Amino acid sequence: MLNLSLRFKAAATLMLAAVLFSPLCVAQEPEGDVDSPEAAVEKLSGAQWLLKMSQAVSQTNYQMSLVEQRPGSDTVPYLWRHGVFENGITMEQLSMLNGPGKEFIRVNRQVSVFEPNVAPFSLSGRIIDGPFPSDLLLNPLDLQSAYTFIAIGRGRVSGRAAQQIRIVSRDNSRYAYQLWVDEETGMPLKMNMLDQSGQLIKQIQVTQFTTSAEPHEFFSRINHEALPTITAVPLSYHQHNWQIAYMPIGMTEVKRNTHRLSVTDQVVEYAMLSDGMVEVSVYVMPISASGPQNNVYRHESKTLLNRTEGGMQISVIGEIPPQTANKIATSLVARVE
Amino acid sequence: MTQEQENLSAFVDGEYQGDDSALVSALKQDTELQDKWRRYHTIRDGLRGELPADSSIDIANSIAAAIADEPAIVAPKRRLRDLPVVGSVIPLVKQSGQFLVAASVAAVAILGVQNYNTTPEIDEPLMTAPPIAGRPQGGLAPVSLEQTRPVERTDMATLLEQRRQINALIADHERQLQLKQAQMQDSTAQEQAAEQDQQPE
Repeated sequence: MLNLSLRFKAAATLMLAAVLFSPLCVAQEPEGDVDSPEAAVEKLSGAQWLLKMSQAVSQTNYQMSLVEQRPGSDTVPYLWRHGVFENGITMEQLSMLNGPGKEFIRVNRQVSVFEPNVAPFSLSGRIIDGPFPSDLLLNPLDLQSAYTFIAIGRGRVSGRAAQQIRIVSRDNSRYAYQLWVDEETGMPLKMNMLDQSGQLIKQIQVTQFTTSAEPHEFFSRINHEALPTITAVPLSYHQHNWQIAYMPIGMTEVKRNTHRLSVTDQVVEYAMLSDGMVEVSVYVMPISASGPQNNVYRHESKTLLNRTEGGMQISVIGEIPPQTANKIATSLVARVE
Repeated sequence: MTQEQENLSAFVDGEYQGDDSALVSALKQDTELQDKWRRYHTIRDGLRGELPADSSIDIANSIAAAIADEPAIVAPKRRLRDLPVVGSVIPLVKQSGQFLVAASVAAVAILGVQNYNTTPEIDEPLMTAPPIAGRPQGGLAPVSLEQTRPVERTDMATLLEQRRQINALIADHERQLQLKQAQMQDSTAQEQAAEQDQQPE
């Protein structure tokens, strides 16, 4: 199931076996020298492990099965493949395995999306936006303005020796994460999202993974001419007469526009905040007679907070604690020219 | 005693090599050792940055007290060891805390069938968890009365309209996320292209 033999020296295998099956070989180990297997593993900081992970994700050939789980909703299984070719081209595939399915194929910077009932389209992107936050995989060090990375120690995940890294927001205003990275290859193996009382609200677990010297043969079957061309996404920007006075540390406004909600056709003024790990949407619209009152809702791992003020309704949505959503919503002020 | 402390420390770290059950029974006898056990865990959690924001330190005792107070008419008294796993007890307490926190922000309702009260088992490894017969899976979970309690049963039409707007907002948020991916990466790509252009000169 796991391709352990690849790039594995005999000594390393022995060491790993000694760690994983320590009860079997206690007798062979000299007393008081318990630290020796630990010392053989590089002692890296949390940031260094994340850097190793981002290099592994973008520079190796792999195939993994993973599942995403949220309490109270169905498990979502994915297949994720990545290949690096001699001419520098990288290809990536992410496939949702349950239901009608949805498939992403990336060739270099072009991400094509295939889903039922929608004509295939392509977007430009450096990585497929999968279950793991894409900024965490691409530029983990950029997240340090918002989060600290704490190396916790080793553990065993998906049958592999893994290093646990804790990702905590600097002002404790966002959910915290536990991430397990494969000690040998640096690949991500598991990620938990925890709320402020330590309750699990989202989990990604790798169930199987293989690395290989050659890219998976799936990539050779892709017909490059058949991929849809990149759809231009207009970068519209509208200035509104309000601004957000409070943002959690490391969070910035990345988008602002005015558009219609596709379901109700209502026109909304919109801003998006991001810290690389999570995105928060802020909506401002005229209050409607039967519209939501001041309420907090939770939908899967997302918080939705509605607040009415002076004939306007403010809605904040994102994977953030309700307290933080409330702080953002109450901080809206008129824009000073 | 020092040997015991050392053993306990190793046990907390998951590195105790000796007989676990002997240590656990020693732990059950000795209240002083129990206090140490709790402190070691608190210290370790603190070092790892894992302490909950509302660190009400002594959860176990408050659970025991709450269970003892439980009126026998409503439910027969259950002792702590009658409960399946201690691990499944703790989240219940934490959750009620969560409710209080949310309630202080505003009146709370929980949307749809996403029920955060019935899933303490989530810590189990996913790849080995078999479907449990008789327990509804995933999206089929029934809406329990508890969830709808905070919503006043006044006007059904208003409620539906509210739900429609909430769904519209959530759908739009998802769509914006997908679009953002393309737009952000587009702009970083442009920046990088610009940087590369400048470098040779």
